[in-house]
Order: sequence, then structure tokens, then C-alpha cells
Amino acid sequence: MIKIADLITPSRTACDIDVTSKKRGLEELSELIAASDPALPAKTIFDKLINREKLGSTGLGNGVALPHARMDGNEAATAAFVRTREPIDFDAFDGEPVDLLFALVVPEHFTDEHLQILARLAEMFSDAAFCKQLREAADAETLFRLLTEWDA
Amino acid sequence: MRHSATWASGGRQLDLTHQIILAGGLLFVASILASVISSRIGAPLLLVFLIIGMLMGEEGPGGLAFDNFQTAHLIGSLALAVILFDGGLRTRVASFRVGLRPALVLATLGVVVTVTVTGLIAAWVFDLPLLVGLLIGAIVGSTDAAAVFYLLHAHGLELKERIGATLEIESGSNDPMAIFLTVAFIELLLGEHQSMGLGLMLEFVQQMGLGGLIGLAGGFVLARAINLVPLTPGLYPLLAVSGALVVFGLTAVAGGSGFLAVYLAGIVLGNRRVQNAQNIRRFHDGMAWLAQIVMFLMLGLLITPSHLLDVAPQALVVAGVLLLVARPAAVLISLLPFRFPLKEQAFIGWVGLRGAVPILLGLFPLLAGVEDAAVYFNIAFFVVLISLVLQGWTVAPVARWLELDVPPRSRVIHRLELDLPGQPEYEMVGYHLTADSPALYKVVRRLRLPRSTQVVALIRDGSLLQDIHDEILQVQDYVYVLTHPEALPDLDRVLVAPTGPARLEEHAFFGEFVLNGDTPLAALSSAYGLSIPDQQHGDETLDQYLLRLFKRHAVVGDRVKLNNMEFVIRAMDGNRITQVGLKISRGEGGRTAR
Repeated sequence: MIKIADLITPSRTACDIDVTSKKRGLEELSELIAASDPALPAKTIFDKLINREKLGSTGLGNGVALPHARMDGNEAATAAFVRTREPIDFDAFDGEPVDLLFALVVPEHFTDEHLQILARLAEMFSDAAFCKQLREAADAETLFRLLTEWDA
Repeated sequence: MRHSATWASGGRQLDLTHQIILAGGLLFVASILASVISSRIGAPLLLVFLIIGMLMGEEGPGGLAFDNFQTAHLIGSLALAVILFDGGLRTRVASFRVGLRPALVLATLGVVVTVTVTGLIAAWVFDLPLLVGLLIGAIVGSTDAAAVFYLLHAHGLELKERIGATLEIESGSNDPMAIFLTVAFIELLLGEHQSMGLGLMLEFVQQMGLGGLIGLAGGFVLARAINLVPLTPGLYPLLAVSGALVVFGLTAVAGGSGFLAVYLAGIVLGNRRVQNAQNIRRFHDGMAWLAQIVMFLMLGLLITPSHLLDVAPQALVVAGVLLLVARPAAVLISLLPFRFPLKEQAFIGWVGLRGAVPILLGLFPLLAGVEDAAVYFNIAFFVVLISLVLQGWTVAPVARWLELDVPPRSRVIHRLELDLPGQPEYEMVGYHLTADSPALYKVVRRLRLPRSTQVVALIRDGSLLQDIHDEILQVQDYVYVLTHPEALPDLDRVLVAPTGPARLEEHAFFGEFVLNGDTPLAALSSAYGLSIPDQQHGDETLDQYLLRLFKRHAVVGDRVKLNNMEFVIRAMDGNRITQVGLKISRGEGGRTAR
């Protein structure tokens, strides 16, 4: 079973970024992922994520979003996490704007693993106390520590 | 001398009047208060009324002897007419989409199967003539509108629309069939028909035809009259109920089924735009309660409990056959063309609640002078008792066990439809903010309200606040919102913390993600590497696919499992699926709890 710690790195965790739209948020996440894996161009990641959003928002409610996609070219599941300074509109079903965004990109051949990781992440973010800790964290390092400690 | 004697006896009569009023008032108060206890222990309220009636009766502490079957029949018919009319008023035509056809088959063919199976087995077990067996079957053949309407809405239960609608429409429309069969068998027993065939068919056509025609026409006329005649507001509900009684009486006098007519008139009136609609519905809610209390108290008074013991063995057999064999068989056969999921059939088969109608029908042979009629009456009464206890008590637990309930649509504390001329769609709804409300400490103007929704008043500590849009919401605030009924679930999400069984919490029920209904299947399968069996054409969308799987009768809460995902219908607009929940099934490697 893949752990959260296998998905993100400190360099792919960002705190209080200034974005004002869903599109900008997804671009930011795509760039974080692309920066650490040359096989994945940011533009391609962004296109995949935005295509998935067209099927229905990946907002989980309560200010959390979990954009995700399957991609050609990468070997392992890769993720990035950002906390925005101001919540952005994400068309979530509860109408709440989103300030915690976790993007997940998995290789094309991940099908069941893809779902299992998503279920795990959704479970993590359904923990209200945990989300509160994330919102109160001082910096990116604390965010990273909180995320990796969740299932350690 | 004579003068004073008359005066003295007159005084005694005045006293008697006062005593009757006192006793009647006490009886009603006791019955109404009993509803509190009954909801605590989960006992069906109608059973409680019946038992209070029996306690007040000749063999209970009350000691009232009441055995006038003619009066009982009059009061019972009147009460049933009022209950059916109210049932019609509450029936939304929108629920016909999924409920009408199965309910109609259950109300006709289903009743015939129930009656035949119960009758044949009863005749065989007790070695009775076939007709007598069938008469017993017919008496207990219909489900009870009052019991079904009440129990399906009690205990905060919200059933999947297909089941709720089917059961409600069935219970409203199957009484005429059972009444028809009972009367027909009595006439056959008394030798008023030569053969079972032609005469019965004609009678059936006449009863249902007249009932249908006069009922529908009466409903339209009544709606028109309410909109045209200027009256003081208090008189509109009375006009409605008197109109209903006219429809009932007219149909019955003309030789049709008054019960069918009054139910249909209720449906027509309840679904047309009439002035004072809110007022009329409220009034009839109370009237229906009154009718139920009167009817069940009276039926409890009417029975002699010790006679019930004499028929206990027969009644247990009839009840057993009815509940465990006849009803499930009738449901299975009637629902064959509709392919309801097995769990739903099992539930509908179980919820064949009997109530006042069988007891009322049990009076018919007595009034007609059929031999041994008292025995049938007592059997009918006993069967109803068993059904109320067994089925009434278990409706909600069985629904939850079979997982047929869906998350409640709204938790508004106070709803008020506004009868604004030309703006009939708007409602004023009130919420009382609790300590776990997600809206606490938010500024009113920054609440994420659904479209065409506005906060119009905020009451704190009993006083109406000014400039509410800049107020910060606090615990114990009363928030009043002007909104459309469709926006209520979204509004709830903003103002009320989710409650209820964990299984019904949004995420657990509908899954992690929300997909748009018009998502193309191809896009879905490429996003998740999903293989979708029997996809019809290349550009089929998710809603088309699900509607096809559920034979166009999909309801919120229906789910389909594909690979490791479940698709749960989350929101519908008429016959269109607008939102589908995506729920991921946890693999064995997935952790379950933290």
C-alpha cells in the first residue's frame, strides 16, 4: 500500500500561495509536479486535470479539493499539495470555496491503485480536526509533516 | 307535577350532555398525548388509539357499551373518505413517474391475488365454502392508507422515492377494489347475482368508471370553485372538505366507488394551483388526524375483546397466510413487469399494512345479514391487530436493514409556503442554529446560499435584528430564508450540521466525488481506466446509461457497481439525472478505520 509519504515531497508542498481561480490553482499544482519529474510537462498535467474537472468538480466539500488524473510517461504515483492564501471557487457541490488542494497523478496502468489512493486521501481529508490543523499550520514544512504523519 | 317531572328529566339530559362532552374530551386528549409515548417506544399510533378504544369499551375500565354497527359504518366511511381525500391532497403527481404503474397493478391485480390466495387457503383450512373463504380474503385484502401514510413518514424515515410512491399510491387506490370484492362476494352469498362472471364485470366497470369520472371531474370543479368564489380564508378548507364529501356521496349514490372518487378528487385538488393551498393542507392534516382518532377509537369501542380470543386460532391462520404467503405472492406477481430490485420487492411485500378498512369491511356482512358475520368481523379485527403490531412496529427497522432509506432531503424546522399572488413558488423557511451548525460565526452576506435564495430575517433572543446582512450568526439564532423548494437540500448544507445514521451521511452514502449527469461514458472510462459493459453507443452519457439500466424509473439512491466503483444517483430533475455520486469500494488492502 502506497503511503502519503511516498506521494509528496517537501518541494511539492506549498503554503499560502496567491491564486484567485480554479484554473490558476490547477496550474500551480501542475507546475509543482512537473518541476520534480522531467517526464511530465506541466501543460500536459494541467490539461489532464482540467479534463477531469469537466466531468464534475473534484471538490470534496468543506474547502478541500482532490484533482486527479492518469498519465502516460510517469513511473510512480506523484502528488502535490497547496494551501491557498484565500479560498478559491471550485464549483464544489457544497458551494464552499476551496483552500486545501491535493493533486494526484498516477501512471496509466494504475487503475485499482488509483482508486485506492483516492479513497485513502478522501478519508484523510474527511477528518475535520486534521483539516483544521492544516489550516492552522505555520509553513510548508509543517504541512508536509502533518500530511506524512497522518498514516505513518 | 308533570311540568316539574319534565324539567327534572331535562336536567338529567343536560347532565348527560355535559358528561358525554367531558368523556369525549378526555378520550381525545388521552389519544393525542398517547402519540408522544407511542413515538418514544416506536409503537404504531393507530394501535394505541385502538387499544384506548378497547380500554374505554364494555370490557375495559371505561365500561362504554357501543355496538351500533350502522352508526359505526357511517362514521367509519366518513372518516375513511376524509383520510383518503387528505392522502390525495398530499400525493404529488411528480411521484407518479416511478410509482403510478406499479401501484395500479398492485391495487388491482395485487388485491385479486391477495384475496384469492388468502381465500383459498382459508376455505381449505377451515373447510368452509369457497365463497365464504373468498369473502374473508376480500375483507382483509387492502392495505390501509392511514397506516401506510403515517408509518412511512414517522421516525424521520425517508424511503427511496420508488418504494414510498408505490406504497402510498397503492394504499390510496386499493381500498375501492377490496370494497368492491367484499360487496360482490356478499351479494353472491345472498344469491343476488346468478353467476360470478358477467354481473361482476359490469359492476366493476360501473364502480371504477363512475368513481374515476366523478372523482376527476369533482376535483377540477372544486379547484375552480375555490379559485373563483370569494370567501373569508377560514372557509376555503371547509369548502374543500365539504366538496370532497359531495363527491363521495354523489358517486356512491350514483352507484360508483366513492372512495376512489374522493381520493382522485384529492389528487387533482392537491396538484392544481389553488388559493389558500397551504391553509387547506394544514386543515386537512388536522382533519385526517381527527378522522383516524375517531375511527380507531370507535372500532376499539365496537369490538368485544373476549370474542377475539374465540377466533384467535382462525385469525392467526388467516394473518399468517396473508402476511407470509398472499401479500408476498401478490407483490411478486404484480411487480414482475417492473423488475424492482429484490430488496425493494421484499420490503413492499412486508409493508402490506392493514388498518381500518378491513375492520370497516368486516361490518359489511353484519349489516347485510350474512350468516356467522360476527365471526368474520372478529377475524378481521384480529388480523388488523397482528398486522399493526408486527408490520407497523418493524417498518422503519426493516427499511434501514434493507438499506432502502436515503439521506433526508431537508431538516428545516419551519416551512411556510407563501401564497403570494403570481409568485407561488417561493417558500419561507426557518432554521434554528445549533452549536454544530456550519454557518456559525459567519457573516450573513458571505453565506454561500443557493441561487434565488435570500436571508430575510434574523431573530436573536426574541428580537428582530436590523441590517442583518452584516450580522455574525450565533448559536440559538433563528434564521428565516426566502427560497425555492428545490434549493432546500443545498440550503440545509449551509445552515445545518449533518445528523442521522453514519451510513446516511453524504459521503458514506453518495461517495467521495460528484459527477455531472451529462458526463460522457468514454471520458469516464478514460479517466479511471474503467471498462463499462453493454455500453450502447460511443457518445452515451452517464445519465442515459443509468436511466437505461433502471428502465427509465431511476430514483435518488439507486446504485450501480462497476469494477471497483459505485455510481449512486444523487440528484434528479424530473426524469433527468443531474448528479451522480462516485463511490470507491475499498480494496482489501485499504485501511478501514483510523
